[in-house]
Amino acid sequence: MGKIIAIHSYKGGTGKTLLTVNLAAVFARKGKKVCVLDLDFRAPSLQSIFKLDGSEYWLNDYLNGTCEINKVVIDYTPQCMCNGKMLVGLANPATEALRDMSAKDRKWEMRALGRLLSLKNTLLNDMELDYLLLDTSPGLQYSSINAIVSADVVLVVSTIDASDVEGTKRMTHELYDLFEKKTAILMNKVPLEFLSTPVERDSVHKRFENTHTLPVLKVMPCYCDVLRAGGTKIFVRDEPEHPFTKHLEEIATKVANF
Amino acid sequence: MGKSLGKNPTVLLEKIKESLDRLNEKMEVFIEIQKQGKRQDFVVQDLPEALDVMTLLSLPDHLRKTAVTICKLGYATAEEVAEQTKRARAVESGYLNQLVLMDYLKKERKGRKAYFFVEK
Repeated sequence: MGKIIAIHSYKGGTGKTLLTVNLAAVFARKGKKVCVLDLDFRAPSLQSIFKLDGSEYWLNDYLNGTCEINKVVIDYTPQCMCNGKMLVGLANPATEALRDMSAKDRKWEMRALGRLLSLKNTLLNDMELDYLLLDTSPGLQYSSINAIVSADVVLVVSTIDASDVEGTKRMTHELYDLFEKKTAILMNKVPLEFLSTPVERDSVHKRFENTHTLPVLKVMPCYCDVLRAGGTKIFVRDEPEHPFTKHLEEIATKVANF
Repeated sequence: MGKSLGKNPTVLLEKIKESLDRLNEKMEVFIEIQKQGKRQDFVVQDLPEALDVMTLLSLPDHLRKTAVTICKLGYATAEEVAEQTKRARAVESGYLNQLVLMDYLKKERKGRKAYFFVEK
């Protein structure tokens, strides 16, 4: 049975989407069958990274109950240049769709949760995928909490920003713990000078593990190359020797065994 | 009475067992409500209309676990829920019936078995 992983954060701009896409690419390049779904209906972004125009149906349509998931997912395997399989499900970025999604009522959200929960059967059991990665909106949005409830594992991406760390701690107690989710932290965009020696790296790692009282899978340095790419590159595919790619490979191994 | 018992005692005994099962379920609900001592919270207050994630977050821990499990299973008996939560069937039956009382779940009988589900 495959694993559903929700990638979440307290604040926006933590690098969630880039980590999600690259993590999926690592799995796919290792021969795994992976699907990435964009559940950030307030600010969809997977279409930019994957450079896709969308398909006939969006994830919005799936949650609305107007189509099945196989009509939404796009096969990205050839562009991914991987041994496995990579499917992508996009959220509709049109302004009208953003407005429509923000006006949904509680009954709709309840049905959407049911639709998300049923993906375990359709994608993991029937389509035999190894991993389903859910990229979410930051904070306590309906779509994000739905994703967290549906997931087997939650990866929380945080920066060293004090408000981000505080908010992440709160969410641990008031969200992930309440749903009894296996949760791990990914510290991202940490200034390189904090991590220049193994002792410093170890010390930073321990500090955040103590702060969050959760396993910290990785303390990721902030790479100018990654910022410069402006979210248009899949590093794991385009820059296989880049240290960012190496970190992602380590994260993937830890996630697989988590 | 004696005549029908003589004619088909199995049917009559099955009916008695079914009635006892239903009575047992009702007792489980009352026991659970008494244990929690929170009937006021569940019945009198205005409850949200849907079992969405915000409602799930607002539920006490023991009911949340049951409610999330039924959301995952879609349509299940107390026994099936108990298998997932690793709690006793009678405990789950109490919690499920409590969620029915709170109007978050629906219940229907198929033969001897009671099934619980979220009305979409």
